[in-house]
Parts: sequence; structure tokens; C-alpha cells
Amino acid sequence: MRSMRSTRRALVAGGAVLVALLAGLALAALAGAGPATTIGALAEGMAGTPYAIGKSLNTAAVLMLVGAGFSLAHRAGLVNVGGEGQLCAGGIAATAVGTTLPAATPALVGVPLTLLAAFTAGGLWAAIAAVLLVRRGTSEIITTLLLNFVGLALVTLMVHEPTLLRQPVTSSETLPQSAPLVDGAHLPLLGVERSPATVAILLALIATAVIGVVSRHTPAGLRLRALGQSPAAAARLGVRAGPTRVVALSTAGAFAGLGGGLLVSTAPALLAEGFTSGFGFAGLVVGLLAGGSMLALTAAALLLAFLTSGGINLQLVAGVPSTTVAIIQSLIILLIAATATWAAGKKATR
Amino acid sequence: MMLTQILVSGLGLALPLLIAAVGELVSERAGVLNLSLEAMMLTGAFTAVTGTVLTGSAWLGAACGLCGGLLVGLAQTLLSVRLRADQIVVGVAANALALAATTFGARLLLDGDRGVTGFERLPIPVLADVPVIGPVLFAQTALGYLCAGVVLVTGLLLGPRTGWGLRIDATGEDAGAADWTGLPVRRIRALCILLTSALAGLGGAQLALSEVHAFSDNMTAGIGYLAVVAVIAGRWRTPGTVVAAVAFGVAQALQYALPAAGVGLPPAVLTMIPYLVAIVAVSGLAGASRAPSCLTVPFARA
Repeated sequence: MRSMRSTRRALVAGGAVLVALLAGLALAALAGAGPATTIGALAEGMAGTPYAIGKSLNTAAVLMLVGAGFSLAHRAGLVNVGGEGQLCAGGIAATAVGTTLPAATPALVGVPLTLLAAFTAGGLWAAIAAVLLVRRGTSEIITTLLLNFVGLALVTLMVHEPTLLRQPVTSSETLPQSAPLVDGAHLPLLGVERSPATVAILLALIATAVIGVVSRHTPAGLRLRALGQSPAAAARLGVRAGPTRVVALSTAGAFAGLGGGLLVSTAPALLAEGFTSGFGFAGLVVGLLAGGSMLALTAAALLLAFLTSGGINLQLVAGVPSTTVAIIQSLIILLIAATATWAAGKKATR
Repeated sequence: MMLTQILVSGLGLALPLLIAAVGELVSERAGVLNLSLEAMMLTGAFTAVTGTVLTGSAWLGAACGLCGGLLVGLAQTLLSVRLRADQIVVGVAANALALAATTFGARLLLDGDRGVTGFERLPIPVLADVPVIGPVLFAQTALGYLCAGVVLVTGLLLGPRTGWGLRIDATGEDAGAADWTGLPVRRIRALCILLTSALAGLGGAQLALSEVHAFSDNMTAGIGYLAVVAVIAGRWRTPGTVVAAVAFGVAQALQYALPAAGVGLPPAVLTMIPYLVAIVAVSGLAGASRAPSCLTVPFARA
């Protein structure tokens, strides 16, 4: 039974990706680009140059962190739809720290401090929703979702107000964005020639591995799962539902916040409107696709990240709107949701 | 003067939110949560503008808006009632899909020329001259009056004390028992979702054709979510939902009214207000209330 389920799950995930990609090709054709052009432009943008690969790896790191956090909270029966807002909180905190550090800060101190600030801010941001859930019984889905809009507006506020994080305004052409982070807060590059890939992907791999091990092989992970699968049984086990939920959701937010920190400490290393680029949503897709397996999570994050880079090139080269990639992503989720009952091996409806 | 202005633009923004919220209330009482309300409204706004541009008639455009909403409703019905998919996952994905698809569609179909004349305001003689209330309530567009009428009729016909209303409540409170007594649970739910989506599509059309007179990418910008929250904050009852929807509309209108009145708050702070109000409303006011027992639980005969 168990193996049948995992076979079905894998079939569904693979099938959904395939069908959505085909739909994407059809859309591109509608926009006037034949399949050959589309695939060429996608491949070029995805992996044509060391630059493209590096970019994609950096994006994958962020998606992995958001997705791993989502999985962790999901284990405890919580749905974290607030990745976007948590990315924003992390990005703001990282910018605040990264721009105020002394210019001579060594990277060994500056980078950890910046990322720690992002991690903490993301956690606190999610804690708002967690506390409202535990204290007032407000659905975390609704609050994390609404907090996305607040977080996005907060970024706008930060980069528009000179008293907050806006770079010094010298002329009317000063862009509404923060000053660049000091050199010591920039993420070190991996050191591959002509590649912008940073250590972000290593950090994300470590974080994902830790989350995987903790949630599968430790008592804490067992408590999360018990709470998620049966709150009543968890209570008999002695799991305190309130604090466990707060910790689970805050940790999810913290990892997303860390992702926001990675985004602003990567070149051009500053905070600007729209810096999250919808990665909060894409990270949710990654978490859903993975279904709790960290290996699948890594694969899904890489797939979506490469697709995103490919989509940008698709717009540049073939003139196909880059929202095609967003359409593909949401189709994947819809297809997986549609077949979830079947994949779980439940009886079909009449 | 300023109060009138805030109320006028507040009600202008509240009307699309209100009609969507009143529709969503029906669905939620039947046990289906449509987070996809945002998708229904955005698709409605897009098809309304596209329809108006293609046919040249605002009324045909409004009908297209209604059909656009219905299209999303059909997908939601298929997924959440027939295939028993997770309603929240479907909702979030549908919203992302609608955002991407309408942006894509607008590039293809509406490039350059996205404005439409839409509907003109039709002040009702005498009534519209009453101070404050007049311009707020009696100077809507024809589509606006229609929306208000639809809200009223829906509230009256499907209220908790009518026969239909009782059937809907039974479906949402205890689907198993409702099925036992012979109610077609899944058909009732499907019809409720379709009604919701038609109303939300109309709301999107009202926003695009009567208020904004254009389509812009992501023009609903969270109104659909606010409509869902209005139902929760209104404790799943019509009067509460109406009050919450109007309050959110006014909170949204503040971002245009306050700068016009010379209040120097940063625009981003004003953008946040409706969402902060919504968070407070949903966790402060709704604490004591109880959702329909079967909300988000798909039904299948055991």
C-alpha cells in the first residue's frame, strides 16, 4: 500500500510537470513562438551560460528554503501561505543590518550577522500569525496571506522613505532603493569562473538536510507529525499543541526570512521593490510538490528555479510574456491537487 | 466634504467587494471555501474589459465579466466538489493562475489600448441631492445599481430563514445528515460555487467598467482576499458581512482620499491599512464565532 502510494505520488508529480510544460509550449505558440524557438530560448536562459546556471542556483537556494519551511509547518498540520511576506521581513532586516555595519567588517562576521537578522525577522513575522492562531483561533492561512500584502507594502515604505532604508537622495533621479550593503555583508561567491553562484545553494542544502533529519529522525519531528496527523492522539502523547504550532510556523517563517536575506545580500546587494519576484509563491509550489521528501524538494526547487531563469530569457529572446512560467507553476499545483485523492489511494467517488 | 469624498470612493470600492463577499458567504455556508474569489474577480474584470473592447457594448462586457467569473467557478467546482481537492490549495493556485493568465492575455489581446468608456454615473433625481447620503448611495452607474440589487436579492432569497437558505446551511453544517435526508449535497455545493463565481465576476466587471474604466495587471490587488475575510469577520451572517465589506472598502478608499485631503502619510502605509484592518477584524471580532462545521471538508458518501 505504502509503495503504491509513493509510486502514485511520483507519477502524479512527474505527470503534472509534463502536462504543465506542454501547456506552456502551447501558450508560447499562441504568443507567436514555435516550439523549437521556445525550447531553444528556455534552454539558453536555463543553462546556456555559466552566468545563467549561477543565477538559477541562487534562485533555487531561496526556493528550497521557503519550501523546506513550508514542509516543516505542513508536517504539523499548518499551511504557511506567507512565504512572500516572510521573504520581505527577512530582506528588510538583512538590509537594515547590512547597511549599518562598519564598512571594514570582515565577511566572516558581516555575513552571519546579516543572515541571522533575516532569519530572526522572518521567524518573528510568522510568529504574528502563529500567536493569532493559538490565542484567537484565527486560521493561519488567512493571516499569513494577509501579512504578505503588509510585508510587500512595508518594503515599498522602507525604500521610499529617506529616514528608513532609502539610499541618500542626491538628485531627482535617485532610485527608490536602499543603499548597497557593505562589502562584508555580501554573500561570498562559490568561485566558479564567470558564475554569479554564491554559497547560498550550499547553505540551502545544509538547511534542507537539517530540516529533513529533524522532522524524520528526532522526537521533535515525531511530535510535529503526531500533531499534524491527529491532534487528539498528540495530546495523549503529551504534545502541547499551542507552543508546538508556534515553533513550527515561526521556524517556517525563519527559513523563508533567511531566503529574503540571501536575496538582498546577493549582487547588486540592495533592497528594492519587487525583490521577492514571487519566490514566496514558487517556494510554496516547491513544498507542495515535494510532499515531505527533502530529495524531491531539492529537485523541485532546481526545476522551478531553472524554469524561472528560462522564462526571463523567453521574454527577451522570443517575446513570450514571462508570466508563462507562472502559468506553468500554478497549473502544476492544480493538477497535483486534482489528483491528490487518487494519489493517496482513497476510494474514488461514485 | 472630505467625509462625503471618502464615503463616495469607499462605497465605490466596497461595491465589488460587497457583491463578491455576499456570494462567498453562500458558498461558505454550504461548506466550500473559495480562496479563488480573487481569481474570479480578476478574470471577471479582464473578460469584462476585453468583451467591451471587442463588442463595443458595456452591457455585453459586463455579461462577459460574469462568464469569466463562472469559468473559474466551474474549475473550482470540478476540483473541490467532484475531485475532492484541497480547497485552499486550489484557491491559492487558481489566484496565481488567473493573475498570470490575465497578464498574459492582456499582453496578447489588449496591448496598448486598455481603457474603456464603460458605464456612466446615473444620479437618481432628488435622492442624489441629499447631502452625504445622496452622492454616496444614489449616484452609481447602471451596473452599480444592478450589483446592489443582486446583493439585496441574494441576501433575501438565500437568508438563513428561507427554504433554500436552510438547505444550504444544512449542507455546510452536517453534510452527512443532509445527504441522509435526501438533499443533493454535491449539487447544492456546486450551484453555490457557481453563484458565488458569477457574483464575483460581476464584481470584477463593476470594478473595471464602472470605477477604473480600464484593465490593468493585477487590478483586483487583494480585494478578493478581503472579501473572503469579510465573510469570516462578519461571522458567516449577511449583516456582519455587509458591514465588514463596506469597512474594508472605506479602508481602501483612504489611500486615495487622504492624500487628496492633504494628509501626508506615505502611500505604502495607506496600502497596508485595509490588510491590517482585516487582520484585526478577523482575529479580534471573529474569535467568538464558529465557522460552518463542514467548511473545507469535501463530501463523499461513506
